[in-house]
Amino acid sequence: MDPVDVNILGVQGVYILWVLTAVSMFFFVRRITKIIKILNRARPENRFDNFKERIVNFILYVLGQKKLFGERTIGLPHFLFFWGFVFYAGSFWWNLLRGLIPVLPIPYSDEVGIITFALEIMGVLVLLSIIVAVLRRIFFPPQHLQQSFDAVIILSLITILMVTLLLGQGYKGTIEASVWSPIGSIIASGLSVSENTAVDTFKAFWWIHIISVLFFLGYIPYSKHMHLLASPFNVLFRNNSQPADLTIKSNSEDIGSGASKWTEFTWKDLLNSFSCAECGRCDRACPAQNSGAVLAPRVILHKIKEQMYETGFNKNGNGIHEIFEDKISKEELWQCTTCMSCMQQCPVLNEHLPVIISMRRFLINQGEVEQTVQDVLQKITRYGNSFGQSDRNRPKWTAALEPKIKDARKEEVEYLWLTGDYAAFDSRLQSITQKTAYIFQKSGLDFGILYEAEKNSGNDVRRIGEEGLFEVLRDKNTQQIKKSKFKKIITTDPHTYNTLKNEYKLSDNGDDVSIRHYTEVIDELINEKKITFNNKLNIKATYHDPCYLGRYNGVYEPPRKILKSIGVTLVEMPRNRAKSYCCGAGGGRIWMEDKTPVKERPSESRIREAAALKDVSLMVVACPKDIVMFQDAVKTTGNEGKLEIKDISELVFESMK
Amino acid sequence: MNFIVFLKMVPDVIEELKIADDGKQLDSDWIRMKLNECDENAVEEAIILKEKFGGKVTAVALDAPELDDALFNALAKGADKAVKIIGEWKDVHSPAIAEIFAKYLRDNNLIDNQTLILSGSQAIDDIEGELVYYLGELLNLPAFGVITHVDYDSGQNSVSLVKEFAGGLRGEFSSGLPAVLGIQASENPPRYIPIAKIRAIMKSAAIEEVVIPPDGLPAGTTIEKMFEPETTGKAEMLDGSTDEIIEKLIGIFSDKGII
Repeated sequence: MDPVDVNILGVQGVYILWVLTAVSMFFFVRRITKIIKILNRARPENRFDNFKERIVNFILYVLGQKKLFGERTIGLPHFLFFWGFVFYAGSFWWNLLRGLIPVLPIPYSDEVGIITFALEIMGVLVLLSIIVAVLRRIFFPPQHLQQSFDAVIILSLITILMVTLLLGQGYKGTIEASVWSPIGSIIASGLSVSENTAVDTFKAFWWIHIISVLFFLGYIPYSKHMHLLASPFNVLFRNNSQPADLTIKSNSEDIGSGASKWTEFTWKDLLNSFSCAECGRCDRACPAQNSGAVLAPRVILHKIKEQMYETGFNKNGNGIHEIFEDKISKEELWQCTTCMSCMQQCPVLNEHLPVIISMRRFLINQGEVEQTVQDVLQKITRYGNSFGQSDRNRPKWTAALEPKIKDARKEEVEYLWLTGDYAAFDSRLQSITQKTAYIFQKSGLDFGILYEAEKNSGNDVRRIGEEGLFEVLRDKNTQQIKKSKFKKIITTDPHTYNTLKNEYKLSDNGDDVSIRHYTEVIDELINEKKITFNNKLNIKATYHDPCYLGRYNGVYEPPRKILKSIGVTLVEMPRNRAKSYCCGAGGGRIWMEDKTPVKERPSESRIREAAALKDVSLMVVACPKDIVMFQDAVKTTGNEGKLEIKDISELVFESMK
Repeated sequence: MNFIVFLKMVPDVIEELKIADDGKQLDSDWIRMKLNECDENAVEEAIILKEKFGGKVTAVALDAPELDDALFNALAKGADKAVKIIGEWKDVHSPAIAEIFAKYLRDNNLIDNQTLILSGSQAIDDIEGELVYYLGELLNLPAFGVITHVDYDSGQNSVSLVKEFAGGLRGEFSSGLPAVLGIQASENPPRYIPIAKIRAIMKSAAIEEVVIPPDGLPAGTTIEKMFEPETTGKAEMLDGSTDEIIEKLIGIFSDKGII
């Protein structure tokens, strides 16, 4: 029974199929060509290295749909949509080819038993998934999920595809029963029609099905379901070298000058926008968005796409104005804390941060930066620290220590310790830094510091978008570090840790210099039994994962192991490890002021989360900036006396006493 | 228009300051120099005026440690020319500095009827803001200090100025050109110049060097002796419960004869 063998108003089915296919392909190819042309006009970037890793990513995140399972309700349904799509797409091309070229000596896909079976079972599973998806959209839509008309169209189309397939199978089943057609048989058992009607109805469903698919094909590149074509490439070309890589991988000078319109982004930056499925996971995770700020990572990518559509389909791009004029406000760009939650959550591995930093770079290059940040940048430029103090003050916190800490510029040490600015200069934090030093000294660690020669590491300077200053700082520190003799580096500040580990090149021969966070070192010292605890603490506490330690660098366990060994019972907050919630200090935010009224600062949200835990009156942190941010938030949320913020070093120190 | 901005490097008080053994000057081993803050505003104001009314900005200073950074910074901001007056400029104070600057202007024939000369209205070693008035006197030009607003009227070829006085009073003045202005604050705070831009300027632009022999300079004031700031009474923290603290306070007040 050949479904193409029909005669509509005197025209043979095969000709109609040819015309429909041609129309659909015309729209599809036209749009895709335009999009590829757009990507071609963007700035170049090399994303063709590391072939192996790219394939692994593809298997995990495209074929395995790994990130989708982060949200339980929609994880499995989307997995089924994806595999259903792959399977039905295969079946569709097969049938289309067979239909277009009737002389081909092959059967239709549904004439092969095992394929029929798979088509029917898959069809039912996809229909069930559709029900979940629809219920989710109607009754419990997550915040920021875009309830677009687009989504309604696509869900309806998929429903039509499945229903027509299954009903067609049903009508076919009334004529010829097959063990390979369980669903078809069930439907057929409820139908009583003549053979002619059955054949006609089967053919009618076949045509509705194929026309729907052809419509789908032409429509995809015009809709949010472009993600289904773009995201596999997005995953394939993702950055593998480091989290939210900001390296300028191009020789052309203008990349350093940042982006103010779509043509100034790299092609991979733009591919993000086409890959976005508007699911809103990034917005839900974004501390800026949740605090009532304008910034929403999804919207940033969307606005860039809008500008591409509005101006990119014309031949000349000279008339494209700055994206800040009507799409993305400068204010929202500065609201990003660079916590990387958006990227962590994104199912298609979009890279929002490099896009945001690119625009910040542009603003910095125009000298457009708020006064408080300008002051800090100038302080760092002149004095090498964000506190604007004389660099001679950097080692002041060591004055009270006995024995004196070794000067790593003058003598060889095993561990070179870089504290970062906050731990060294902030009067609230110096005593904690002293306790860390005490722990190192008591456990016989051979370590030294650079005294006044250490400079701000530049992690946050880079994220503000001041690439030039970052380079200066990186070069100065690198020079100094290379002059010193040591085996490993310890850092206090996770921000320092991140840039040293991922963005500095500390050895000439390409070997990695071992960079440790102090929690990793203390954990090692405990394992080697070099620390003795005289006083186990026997308390309950929760632990906050700093963004740049956890999400950025995957250090989750050492702090937890330390807490366990000193007798702390850890009570996890709902948002822990990779889902940890930013304190709001990163990306230079610690130096900015809130201009618009905030609903709830990120730090306040985090404090309320910790305070809501049963029997917990202590939140342990492992980042100097966390102490500053959270101690403030404890006061502003009225949790003074109820929740205490302590650095993990303070607890280790107490239990050593 | 022709904007000439005179700059000066001053000791950075962020760094610890030490008095040299002779008791008359700062120990040069301990000081780092930075651009005088008001001068930074003068540069900014000149650039703002140039952007509004067109013209050329020239930044001029006596040689000093770290001066090049300040001059490149001015060039990156939009100054057209930077000039360094070479020499060992020790112990020169405002009268002598004004003499050198005036000589530079006269020797190079730089003043025309479109010229506005700007400088910071004061500096930590010129709290009175004398430089501007000495310059005005030497060049026989009108001079105004503590200026917070400048506007140019091309029809009249004159500037209208706002000058601040003590106690929050302000005065509006109008002056023909050329004139000498001591800038207290620029229209907008000095802008941020990204490091990349400064580096680019360092590669592409050069600082012009000029020699002016230090002959016959007036001594002006001479420093007899420098002092460290004296610490007067220190704050005392009172410990204890609220009642105890009140008790102690009453004790202190009665000891001092206040109650």
